[in-house]
Amino acid sequence: MAGLYGVASWFCCGNAWGPCGTAGHGACGTCNSGSYQHAWPNTSDACFAITRPDSCGEYLNRRTCGFTHYTTNLCNGRRVATQIADCGPQTDLFCGQTVCCGGTNCTWNRLIDFTPAAFSALGSLSSGVLPVLITA
Amino acid sequence: MDISMDRRRLLGAAVLGGTGAFVGATALGSLAPEAAFASGTSEVAPGAPDPDFAEGRVTGIEGTLLIVAGSDGTRWRIRVTNGSSVWKLRPTTFGAVRVGDGLYARGVRLPDGSLAADAVWVNIVNLHVHVASIARNAVHFDHRGKRIVGWVVPGTSAAVYNDTPPIADLSLMKVGSHVQVLGAWIPDTNEIEIATVYAAA
Amino acid sequence: MSWWVASLQPAVIGAVLVWAAGVKLLSRHAPAAAARSALPRLVGSGRALPVYRGVAVVELVLGAALLLPPALRVEAVAAVAVTAGFLAYLGYARLTVPEASCGCMSARRAPVGVRSFARAAALLLASTAAVVDPAAWLEALAAQPVNAIAVIAAELAMVAALSPECDAYWLLPLRRLRVRLTHPLAGASDEVPLAATVQQLHRSGVYRQIARLLSSDVREHWDEGEWRIVCYAARFRGEDVTAVFAVPRLRDAPGAVRAALVDESTNKTMQAGWLAPRPAHAT
Repeated sequence: MAGLYGVASWFCCGNAWGPCGTAGHGACGTCNSGSYQHAWPNTSDACFAITRPDSCGEYLNRRTCGFTHYTTNLCNGRRVATQIADCGPQTDLFCGQTVCCGGTNCTWNRLIDFTPAAFSALGSLSSGVLPVLITA
Repeated sequence: MDISMDRRRLLGAAVLGGTGAFVGATALGSLAPEAAFASGTSEVAPGAPDPDFAEGRVTGIEGTLLIVAGSDGTRWRIRVTNGSSVWKLRPTTFGAVRVGDGLYARGVRLPDGSLAADAVWVNIVNLHVHVASIARNAVHFDHRGKRIVGWVVPGTSAAVYNDTPPIADLSLMKVGSHVQVLGAWIPDTNEIEIATVYAAA
Repeated sequence: MSWWVASLQPAVIGAVLVWAAGVKLLSRHAPAAAARSALPRLVGSGRALPVYRGVAVVELVLGAALLLPPALRVEAVAAVAVTAGFLAYLGYARLTVPEASCGCMSARRAPVGVRSFARAAALLLASTAAVVDPAAWLEALAAQPVNAIAVIAAELAMVAALSPECDAYWLLPLRRLRVRLTHPLAGASDEVPLAATVQQLHRSGVYRQIARLLSSDVREHWDEGEWRIVCYAARFRGEDVTAVFAVPRLRDAPGAVRAALVDESTNKTMQAGWLAPRPAHAT
């Protein structure tokens, strides 16, 4: 099945503890760290102007708040379905970032950021980044 | 949960003493993508809260039970067992958890409503920041308009520059650059201890 | 003396406004600057860029009016209104979207902070001085050229120092120089960080074989000679086991990683060994 290979990371939202205390509920107003949600770099013109995935050679479809993506961790095969709840990650600041698993399974460019709940369903939060396959 | 030398000897001998090769797929079950994906798909609806995931601040510790107040008002009881991993800047033990710590936990909901933890991440943060300045053993970050002090912890703090393996040398970070920093928040402060920094060299 | 300094203020305010207008109208990053500011919250994402450009037009017109003769009191009054408006906008941004960039003087990221407020307050003060004693700044410059240039230059330098957007041109280079000279993070630990071991483990073929069995994050680790032993909890054939990995500690050799699945309740090793090299799997 066609999809995007890329790098996933995680972020917090929902006015929780620590530096997340003032994070707010994301660009869509619905983001919470305990929900299966993610940030997407092309949710609107304003979002795209900040994230600029095209400067890394990534041409991502416009998807708006609430759209569901399916993401698979290439290391362990775990898969989650999450909804867009925020704009991000800032792809153009991590152009070429590469993450590998199992020797030759490598992906590059930061394409998606998850809430802690969603990321931890795919892999460990302490990993920071994961190689993933994203489908719609 | 003290780790005895005998136990470590046993585990070390098991992994270093094995002479065979894993027979790939047959030893561990099919690793065909369809099988792996099918078995590993989460059943939580997209956008919904995950009942097997807890988030909040520790308000009490009773034996091996953590009482946690979620940011949405949920009161969690999290059971930490010998099979649970506990991360607080580095892999550690249940004894390192303190009242006031923030945490995320993933596990299995038990019939009594408590969460049997597979993994607990204490005070873990993953921040996109700008490097404002670098001082002795500390890096000052700008995060969403606020200043955060990141402490370099010898023996633990590491940096990933472009795609190189993590190294202990954080001095290649550039003032003014954008980095991602994974670390442990120091409760009720604007300070974190740095676990890993992802930066461009 | 004070009227003479006051008469130079239109030059300072005019220069700052024309600079700010130029950034908003001509920078190719202006759309990003508008998106990162508090304008999307204030007027809606669709109107943020048009409003951003509209502010630029006001700045350009007013800045040009202040710089060019004749010197009219109404121009200074307009400058007071505009700079008071900036101050109010900064307060709104700080309260409602604290991570938003000012977008005032540059397209660079620069959250609203104390310096931004101080700059706006200084420009408001300068505008007020110009209202009290409006006079042609060109005449004041002609009367005392050296002193006038010194005052204007000093005030513009103060505006730059109060502009986080301009830090990239002077403050950050100074901080980089200090780091180069003092090496504050030198003497880092010689120990191989656990993060390096875990990354090497993830790159190994045997980890990819076992990863789907793992139920925890790293539970414990220790060093045994040239190896670092890393343990996870795992579930194998319905049993709770410990997944034990031995990762080369001092060399990068993911192919040499070894693994074992141990049932600690019975001290039985379910599986142990290493993974033979597999064909490359293209992504």
